[in-house]
Amino acid sequence: MRLLPYALVAALLFASATIARTPDLARRQAEAAAALADQQEEETVLAEGEGRSEVFGYCTACHNTALIRRSAFTRERWDELMDWMSEKHEMNPLEGEFRDTIVDYLARHYGPRARGPRGGAPFLN
Amino acid sequence: MAHQKQPERSIQELYRDDPERADALVWGRRRALEGAALAAMGTALGAAIPFARHMPGGLVPAALAQGATQPQFLQMEGKAPLIMQGERPLNAETPEHLLDDPITPADKFFIRNNGNVPDPVGDPRAWKIRIDGEVNTPLELTVAELEQRFEVVTRRLQMECGGNGRSGFSPQAAGNQWGNGAISNAEWTGVRLRDVLRAAGVKDGAKFTGQHGADTHLSAQGPAISRGMRIEKAMDEDTLICFRMNGAAIPQIHGAPARLIVPGWPGSLSQKWLTRLEVLNAPHTGRGMGGTSYRIPVRPIVPGSRNNGADFVDMESMPVRSVLSSHAHGTRLPAGTRSLDIRGHTWAGDSSVREVHVSTDFGQSWQAMQLDAPPNRHAWQRWQGRIALPSDGYFEVWYRATDSNGRMQPHVAANWNPQGYGANPISRVAILIG
Repeated sequence: MRLLPYALVAALLFASATIARTPDLARRQAEAAAALADQQEEETVLAEGEGRSEVFGYCTACHNTALIRRSAFTRERWDELMDWMSEKHEMNPLEGEFRDTIVDYLARHYGPRARGPRGGAPFLN
Repeated sequence: MAHQKQPERSIQELYRDDPERADALVWGRRRALEGAALAAMGTALGAAIPFARHMPGGLVPAALAQGATQPQFLQMEGKAPLIMQGERPLNAETPEHLLDDPITPADKFFIRNNGNVPDPVGDPRAWKIRIDGEVNTPLELTVAELEQRFEVVTRRLQMECGGNGRSGFSPQAAGNQWGNGAISNAEWTGVRLRDVLRAAGVKDGAKFTGQHGADTHLSAQGPAISRGMRIEKAMDEDTLICFRMNGAAIPQIHGAPARLIVPGWPGSLSQKWLTRLEVLNAPHTGRGMGGTSYRIPVRPIVPGSRNNGADFVDMESMPVRSVLSSHAHGTRLPAGTRSLDIRGHTWAGDSSVREVHVSTDFGQSWQAMQLDAPPNRHAWQRWQGRIALPSDGYFEVWYRATDSNGRMQPHVAANWNPQGYGANPISRVAILIG
């Protein structure tokens, strides 16, 4: 019987702590998301080769290199994506030699690759 | 959890836990790798390679290869180690084996952003949502007013990214390379959008919506995304303006204080940080509408070919899909294991799932699984069953669902399109016995 009030108090304390924690967690998660987005990358995260500096500088103005590193496109598809980004995502249109530098680099280093489902056999990597 | 479950391990963990076995598994027994290359490789792996003499010459470990395929995992307070798809924009996928809960908890909810996550507001109850356009009475309502004025409902609703399954496409399609884990089935509390629209009075001839949220584009120019749907879906009883998830405030990264939930249709329609919904006579033209965005070919196109999407149609109800949640891809089980109880979830956009089948012999024979009815429309369904394993060795569990219209998950991703929507091929989980 004597335990009941204590249990009630404990429950209330727990509940208020939970309520107080929620806005803090929301803020901390938003900050963590911003910190991830603001994380500085080194150019060397991309494959070495002619055009890397140009690609790194131009592309990371908007997004980080994960979008490049995960990609495996033919030159034609990379070229198409340049138009898509300027038409749909406010990228300054790429033209002439500079465009070739960018697209050539991407096609050379992030071209189609053969891979099994989910990145290969799990017992070998 | 009643079953033996082994999370996917990184190569570093594999070496730390059991270097002998790791080496045997990774390198087999062939020629040696020596000198500086070996030292460099050991440093990069963060672990010594104790059995380097067995390492095949010239083989570059996947963990070290350029564009490594080894997944990176999210580290964030209040979130499980989700598979990182990218930091800017922040996107992370829930591994299938973390989708075992009937109701997806906040920590296991996948993260999908097109732009920047807005800062939390001081008073969520005062957050305003505007309903305007082709309505008789434009409304501007706070979250508190919405809750007070309209019936509050709670539903379990599956919501998945329009690009879920994209990694199934060959050649690769542009966008996050999701497996099947850009899916959630939380318990949402909110008001029906149709009740709010009726209060505003939708004008005759109004056929579409346009949604707006508070997140900004990565280029700092304009909104991150602004999508719209046919008015029929907006009037569906399960399309909600939500202000609570699993009985608590919606997490900030998932759209607090209020967001739409448009279950069964591409997740981008479930606008986060909802500020405004306009009713329109013509299809919405916001970012993420038109072209090849959230649109699929009517007449199939050559995979990998260039197409501006002018002849495509908007993707609406998502295709049938299933996940296996009881065992992680790459689970190793004790020698002599001859049967396994497996389970997962399955769903099919606006439809439901009629059957789930499993094969352990690469599709030569299939076994029906037990399938539960959804607790409410637009909720995912539990499937489970016992499979037999004839011997030790390497097996793949293949699992496929068939929807209430008789459409089955295909063997390979169908109807290729440049931005990769609608891939729902049969999934495979690899297990090793012994």
